[in-house]
Amino acid sequence: MVQLNRQYDRANNSGEPIHVKVVGVGGAGSNILDRVMLDGIEAAELVAINTDVQSLTASVAAHKVQLGRNLTRGLGSGGDPELGYAAAEEATDDIRSVLQGGTVVFLCAGLGGGTGSGAGPLVAQVAKEENALVLAFAAVPFSFEGRRRCAQAEESLTRLRAVCDAVVCFENDRMAEITLPRMGIHEAFAAADLTVSQSIRSVAALLQRPGLLHIGFDDVCAVLRNGDARALFGYGEADGENRAHDALAKALKSPLMNRGALLENAFHAIVHICGGPNITLGEVQIIMEELNRHINDQTQLFMGIGIETRMGNRLSVSVLSSLGNGLGKPIAQFRQRAVYPVEPLPQPNVKPEPWKPAAVSELPPKAAAQEQAGAIGYAPERGEEELMLSSTQSETHKPAQTRPPAKLDAKSQTGSAKKVEAKQEILQFEPVSRGRFEKSEPTIIDGQDLDIPTFLRKNVRIR
Amino acid sequence: MARDNIFVGLEIGTSKICAVVAEARSDGTLKVVGVGSVPARGVRKGEIVDFETAKRCVHDAIVDAEEKSDVEISEVYLGITGSHIRSFNNRGVVVLEEGREEIDEQDLDDVRTNAREVSLPMEDCILHTIIQHYYVDGQDGVLNPVGLLGKKLEADFHIVYGIRTRIQNAIRCVKELELEPADVIINSLATAQAVLEKNQKQLGAIVIDIGGGTTDFVVYVDGAVKQSGVLSIGGDHITNDISIGLKIPSARAEKLKVDEGNVTLGTAFPGETILLKDETGFAGREIEREPLNQIIHERLREALEIVKRQIEADQNLHYVGAGVFITGGCSQIRGLEHLASDIFGMPVTMAHALPMAGVTSAFENPQFSTALGLVKYAHLVQIDRPASGGLIRNAFQKIKGIFRN
Repeated sequence: MVQLNRQYDRANNSGEPIHVKVVGVGGAGSNILDRVMLDGIEAAELVAINTDVQSLTASVAAHKVQLGRNLTRGLGSGGDPELGYAAAEEATDDIRSVLQGGTVVFLCAGLGGGTGSGAGPLVAQVAKEENALVLAFAAVPFSFEGRRRCAQAEESLTRLRAVCDAVVCFENDRMAEITLPRMGIHEAFAAADLTVSQSIRSVAALLQRPGLLHIGFDDVCAVLRNGDARALFGYGEADGENRAHDALAKALKSPLMNRGALLENAFHAIVHICGGPNITLGEVQIIMEELNRHINDQTQLFMGIGIETRMGNRLSVSVLSSLGNGLGKPIAQFRQRAVYPVEPLPQPNVKPEPWKPAAVSELPPKAAAQEQAGAIGYAPERGEEELMLSSTQSETHKPAQTRPPAKLDAKSQTGSAKKVEAKQEILQFEPVSRGRFEKSEPTIIDGQDLDIPTFLRKNVRIR
Repeated sequence: MARDNIFVGLEIGTSKICAVVAEARSDGTLKVVGVGSVPARGVRKGEIVDFETAKRCVHDAIVDAEEKSDVEISEVYLGITGSHIRSFNNRGVVVLEEGREEIDEQDLDDVRTNAREVSLPMEDCILHTIIQHYYVDGQDGVLNPVGLLGKKLEADFHIVYGIRTRIQNAIRCVKELELEPADVIINSLATAQAVLEKNQKQLGAIVIDIGGGTTDFVVYVDGAVKQSGVLSIGGDHITNDISIGLKIPSARAEKLKVDEGNVTLGTAFPGETILLKDETGFAGREIEREPLNQIIHERLREALEIVKRQIEADQNLHYVGAGVFITGGCSQIRGLEHLASDIFGMPVTMAHALPMAGVTSAFENPQFSTALGLVKYAHLVQIDRPASGGLIRNAFQKIKGIFRN
């Protein structure tokens, strides 16, 4: 969780300092590494690992490891993950020595090719064996690069997930949306690298910078761990009067974010706000409130605030989150929580239904599925009355076991009719105010009376 | 006196009634001589609902304009709006009789009459038949077909019509004040004359005039009016929404809207408040800024989205090259430019009337765009048909037509 730690510096110095190592594996990995280097990263060792000597010598990284000296003899792995893996196996000791002493290892690789996909998981494995926390930033190829590459990337991704503490996956397709289709291919790739680099830098900064509200590696892992599918990352920086709003808007504009629309499905999110000493509570409040509009009620939000004098009047917001495709687990948890704790009784009455052999087997599969969905999915959301209602309904079913399914349907229909009636009592039909337009000719467009305030019609919550 | 070179535009708006007096100078430009404006009463959503009260206001506005311009007004160009006004595009065709190949003025009249022959409901009458394009024997891009040789003349027109009785109300209001309505023009068309330059019309432009009671819009494509419409939503609705949402009296809501309103969300600090001073009949209160902005935002977003939908439905959105021009009293609300460009996805200009000689405060205020547009329209039409008096005759017939039955 977020911890408020005033003596952060002292506390941290007394403990072990965090050694960050950024490792780029393969061609794409070293491109990202170059980008990270260019943008500048504090107190991190950069390590380039590649089979291709040419690319390795061009790299700006301080430490370099050549894979497959004997196997590939300084050439690339030719897009073959097997070869990449074998080359890395050959150089395991070199990799180990260079990774030694790292507390946190950021592994970046472009998946789909040979070295990144093949050697990547092995490097992660070695880092893990060296007791480092491993965070992988993996770029998944453009879909136009072909199915084969995508499949290789997919396979490698699964392996990475098995080894790493967290995998942040960047889809090139998505990231390229930043650039116009008309732009050069070079720029498209550069833009993708930039996004990855930005997120590496901001995660590294999150961990290293003294924070007023500090975010630890555990928080980062919590956010990214169940991110099986893809990372949501946004970074924005702004200055001027409206900087809080602008910075967040920029962060949400990141193509990985889809203007914040994707955040709604995230279960955890980290927000890190960084600014000069003149950052105000009001600004933090603006950012958080605005962000709250994009996330759902169940999302756990980790907030970090850093103050750095070198930011001057600028303010930056980074948002980090992940979309899990294995949503099953968290959703189930949240559903269970939503169950009304008062009403365990009717449940057994609802459940036995599928057990009635004759009636159920006669139901068309779709209807059965619906009924099941109704029983399982919606049960928690039903009010007390409706639960009672369904229990009486199932009682009336008992003698009707041998009746044809049509009758069953009719029953459930009358049941639903009753449900609607019950809801009507709650709905307000009467007090629709048209105010000063009470007596004028109504303006009706698309069936809506536009004289009624928009916020009432659209049910916008006015705070 | 009504001289040939004096034009008076009268706009009976929901929030104000204003008359603009302009003089056509010998060099072909217009000079604004005086502007009379009074707050309107008895007008809702651009239409007169209380005849006597509205008439008094019109009278006051005319007197005001007369005093300021030192001109005795006897003839006005009257702006019309209201939800009943509708429009469509129609094509007229004339085939020249055997043995004649040269197209003459008469054919132009014929093709126009031909295009107007559509079955409208009995209560409706046509306000404008605006030429879009001529085609001679299927060849397009003909600017003036008179004198050309051809067998078949076709022409596309934009036809604007409205309910006769409701148009009559405004005309009668003017007539009872001993004024002669020289012509009746829909507001959106007039506004476009004031706001757009010729090349912008060529490029394609959307003009949206968000007034007190209505939002009038017109779409220009290829220099011709392609679409026009009236949406009965305006500043009054915003005021009403604020009044209902924040539970404050209308007059307060109006002032709050003008002084503090902003459509951009998230610009206010959380908990930032505005203090409303107490006065008789109203206990002072603190109003939060964000909800206020939210109410305004929702309303204006909806209004602009409806306009966009209507333009999209006619598939005109893609032909707009110069962007959106927003004018009218409501365009003064802060941040509207961003909201509009967000919705339309094209450049948005907060427009006021193009500069004219004379009273500068008039054209710098977007509230007067329509009234200025009326005189500009009058001026343009007169230049188009100088000597023949065709316009006056036409306009006369139009008004007589409206009063027929």
